[in-house]
Amino acid sequence: MSDPTAPDPIPEDAARTALAKRGERLTTLSFAVSIFGALALAVVYWRGGQPQLEGIFLCLALGGLGVGMIVWARYFMPHGTDVEARHQIESTEEEIDAFREEFERGEHILTRRSLLVRMGTAAVAALGVALIFPIRSLGPRPGKGFKSTPYRKGIRLVTDDGTLIKADDVSVDGVITAFPEGHTDAADASTLLIRPNEPVQARPGRESWTPGNLVAYSKLCTHVGCPVGLYQAGVHLLLCPCHQSTFDVLDGARPIFGPAARSLPQLPIEVDGEGYIVARGDFSGPTGPGFWDRDR
Amino acid sequence: MIRPRLLRLVMLVPLVAAGLYLVTGTSTARGAEHGDTGRGRELYLTGCSSCHGIHGKGVEANGEQRGPSLEHAGPAITNYMLTTGRMPLANSEDRPVRKDPAYDTEQIRDLIAYVSTLGEGPAIPDVDITTGDLAAGGELYRANCQPCHSASGAGGALSYGRAAPQLSKATPTQIGSAIRTGPGQMPVFGPDTLSSHEVDSIARYVKYLEHPDDRGGVSLGRLGPIPEGFLIWVLGVGLLIVICTWIGGRTRNRREVEPQP
Amino acid sequence: MTTTSPARRQKRDKLLTRRAARWLDARLGGAKYARTALGKVFPDHWSFLLGELALYAFVVLLATGVYLTFFFHPGNQIVTYHGSYAPLHGVQMSEAYRSAVELSFDVRAGLVMRQIHHWAALLFVASIVVHLMRIFFTGAFRRPREVNWMIGVLLLILAIFNGFAGYSLLDDQLSGTGLRIAYSITLSIPLAGTWLASLLFGGEFPGPDIIDRLYVIHILLLPAVIALLIGIHLFLVVRHKHTQFGGMGRTEENVVGEAVWPSFAFKSLGLMMLVAAVLAALGGLAQINPIWLYGPFDPAEVSSASQPDWYMGWLDGSLRLFPPLEIRAFGFEVPAPFFPGALLAGITFGLLFAWPSLEALFTGDRRVHHLLDRPRDRPVRTSLGVATLSFYTVLTLAASNDVIATTFGLSVNAVLLTFRALVIVLPPIAALVTYRLCNELQARDIAGGYVPPDRPRVRWELLRFWRWRAMRRASRAPSTAG
Repeated sequence: MSDPTAPDPIPEDAARTALAKRGERLTTLSFAVSIFGALALAVVYWRGGQPQLEGIFLCLALGGLGVGMIVWARYFMPHGTDVEARHQIESTEEEIDAFREEFERGEHILTRRSLLVRMGTAAVAALGVALIFPIRSLGPRPGKGFKSTPYRKGIRLVTDDGTLIKADDVSVDGVITAFPEGHTDAADASTLLIRPNEPVQARPGRESWTPGNLVAYSKLCTHVGCPVGLYQAGVHLLLCPCHQSTFDVLDGARPIFGPAARSLPQLPIEVDGEGYIVARGDFSGPTGPGFWDRDR
Repeated sequence: MIRPRLLRLVMLVPLVAAGLYLVTGTSTARGAEHGDTGRGRELYLTGCSSCHGIHGKGVEANGEQRGPSLEHAGPAITNYMLTTGRMPLANSEDRPVRKDPAYDTEQIRDLIAYVSTLGEGPAIPDVDITTGDLAAGGELYRANCQPCHSASGAGGALSYGRAAPQLSKATPTQIGSAIRTGPGQMPVFGPDTLSSHEVDSIARYVKYLEHPDDRGGVSLGRLGPIPEGFLIWVLGVGLLIVICTWIGGRTRNRREVEPQP
Repeated sequence: MTTTSPARRQKRDKLLTRRAARWLDARLGGAKYARTALGKVFPDHWSFLLGELALYAFVVLLATGVYLTFFFHPGNQIVTYHGSYAPLHGVQMSEAYRSAVELSFDVRAGLVMRQIHHWAALLFVASIVVHLMRIFFTGAFRRPREVNWMIGVLLLILAIFNGFAGYSLLDDQLSGTGLRIAYSITLSIPLAGTWLASLLFGGEFPGPDIIDRLYVIHILLLPAVIALLIGIHLFLVVRHKHTQFGGMGRTEENVVGEAVWPSFAFKSLGLMMLVAAVLAALGGLAQINPIWLYGPFDPAEVSSASQPDWYMGWLDGSLRLFPPLEIRAFGFEVPAPFFPGALLAGITFGLLFAWPSLEALFTGDRRVHHLLDRPRDRPVRTSLGVATLSFYTVLTLAASNDVIATTFGLSVNAVLLTFRALVIVLPPIAALVTYRLCNELQARDIAGGYVPPDRPRVRWELLRFWRWRAMRRASRAPSTAG
């Protein structure tokens, strides 16, 4: 393990010998631990694997090697005495001048034909512009989908497994997540049906949207679109678990705390002859987070 | 003041009654049949009446409600509140949290029997987790419960100091009772929203969450990326910086073991 | 090695490795460069190893990541799970999520690799941040190292992006929630938001293509760019030669330390093994991201306590703290998440990029520096740095406000309001305390006989930008006269 060219340790220096012994012992021990870890890892894997044992033995195999190398370096390798000179990083003025001269010679050859230079530049620019267009294939034009959901007048509300929801299914203090019939995978149309234990204060023009005190709001937070899943029945508050926006269910889902700036859009609903809950149109506004031309 | 309360009453009575019949048929008082109403009344008068009133109609003091009316409580919520130790409260302003129950099983039975005479409410649901479907329970749990109780059942924060409790200590009956009655801020999930088989499945999954498969090692409380981030800074970066100081430490004072060639 | 007889040399060169090296040298001629590399000197200070932590975390990421790609299938087609994890039996999920769960339960050593990979990702970004702090507080970004500073900042950004892309791939509930927030922040960018979001996600959220795209970005595009930039970063370190602290014969003209061969190389390789060992221990013993508990992503579902990985915490925290401010004018709107999301990220990284130029502008110090500052000798820079760190620390902690509230039985609303106050109040306090502390320490140094290097005056008057024109005129006048 020691360099053959090195002279043997001076015998009278007992301390040095002891130190060398200790270093060699430590290094050998570390490498032995590493070998043990590697073999044990193989055995564990062979026997069907177990995540904790795999982690421990991998750690031993790698760690033993690492400790051994560092101890080796600390005991038996020279440290901290080498000196190297730094050199100037920037080029000298002469070098720069020489470069400039050569470059300008080439440049002069090019610029003699100014028409060619101009056309060449134009061709490269045109190619660049043409290459931007394929980006357009990445996604569709953001259209009406951002502002509307599949809800139309007469569409019935269903649960996430497609079961039609009757008005009676929602008990007082109850909450159900609903979707438009046939669109249970519409991410922008998830709806909260809530029947609070106190009367909803309808916004002007929305007096008939809450049959039997049943109210339907978009489930998507108007902040960044997390589902506002936490209904606190006793205080009639909806809380968004992502950023703690809080909405007052009795007061048109107005935000009363947190970073959301807009009320949750409300869905106009009615109960049909068979007792099913039916939408009377789309939400009162685009659902989910805001964007530049939301109001347009 | 009167109008909303009136409306509430009018709406509540038929709905709750209808719901009740659907769940339980006519056996309104499972658990109550064994109890002794007389002894229950005695316990009630000493332990509960200061907030809920002598006739169970609730107590209002200085415009503040000290305790709600028990006219629509029924066996399920009573059982839930008493067996989880949430009731009785030492101070009516305290938030009810899980404690050791203040009454023994016999006394709870008596109290349920007495409270059942004050009005009608959902019966204690029969929850049998052995018939529940674990995977279906997981799906229902994630759809209905995890918004408040978190995916691992660790509980979570609600508005203004309220919290959804950790679920690890809940018994199947308590889980079922909570689903049906919505104690505290919890919404009510009636039999039209979740069938009794679905409640069994949810309870089975919640019981599973008590000791879930932590195949990856120490669970770190199953609180997600926060403890993970904490660990990588304290143990990962911390330990590695210690290692760096060891490697890059001042070795120049150490004697050279082998002279340079 | 100075005197080797020809006979001995011949004997030595019979070794297979030496013969191979000779064969290569005959074709590439690298021996003389390799010799310079062996003799390169690295100053030894523990803080100079912090960047290596990041490098070796990246090595572990590559090694484990390659293994994971053999078993992970991105894709959003809906499949039914029939693996060995019973609580998900028969559950409908995406192909990506199913393969991630199968990788964790049914592939031998799969889970340990996945967990090491995730821990390594957390460590990668963390050690970049610690390394950046070392560079900042010691002034190692000054001329001629500004370009390398910018590459470093770019690496930080890419590391964060790639970490986010990685944990978004699995399509579990938590990662889907994170993607949703990323989508909404993209959407909030004025004018271009809807287009950007649509192009990135291939349509409206959740978007049909996002997992496939993130996969290519995560395993090919960003790792390649990161590896390339790390290469340039290290090349420039060699080109500039490492910085060092002054004193004990160390000057602007020399490098004092250990030669690469064998001391430094051995220690460094040992460090790599130890980084990997720590990550292996974490990966085997500490569970990270148990996706089987989170369930497959459903855009209508969410769990309480939804947090991102720590390195996105500052953005999530700022989203939580920022007041509900929505600007609406002329029928257009700048939605609330734009300011704490897109704008804050832009300002953060913009300032980081610009810092070397800004400091040079304000101190007027554009000289070459190879000797490092001690943080106390530059109180203004140090206190600004500490203030910035405290700002981002508060934001990161704010991302856990709901967990803090439940853990300590507090009101989440009160916690949030406290953080809002802290994020404004704490940075200036931190700056003042640090400034005082630096001056105290320096005074003690001077009392102890240490002469601190002259510190350039900070030209605070430059903050009065409305007087820039007058100042320029004033500075030009004497030069034209003279």
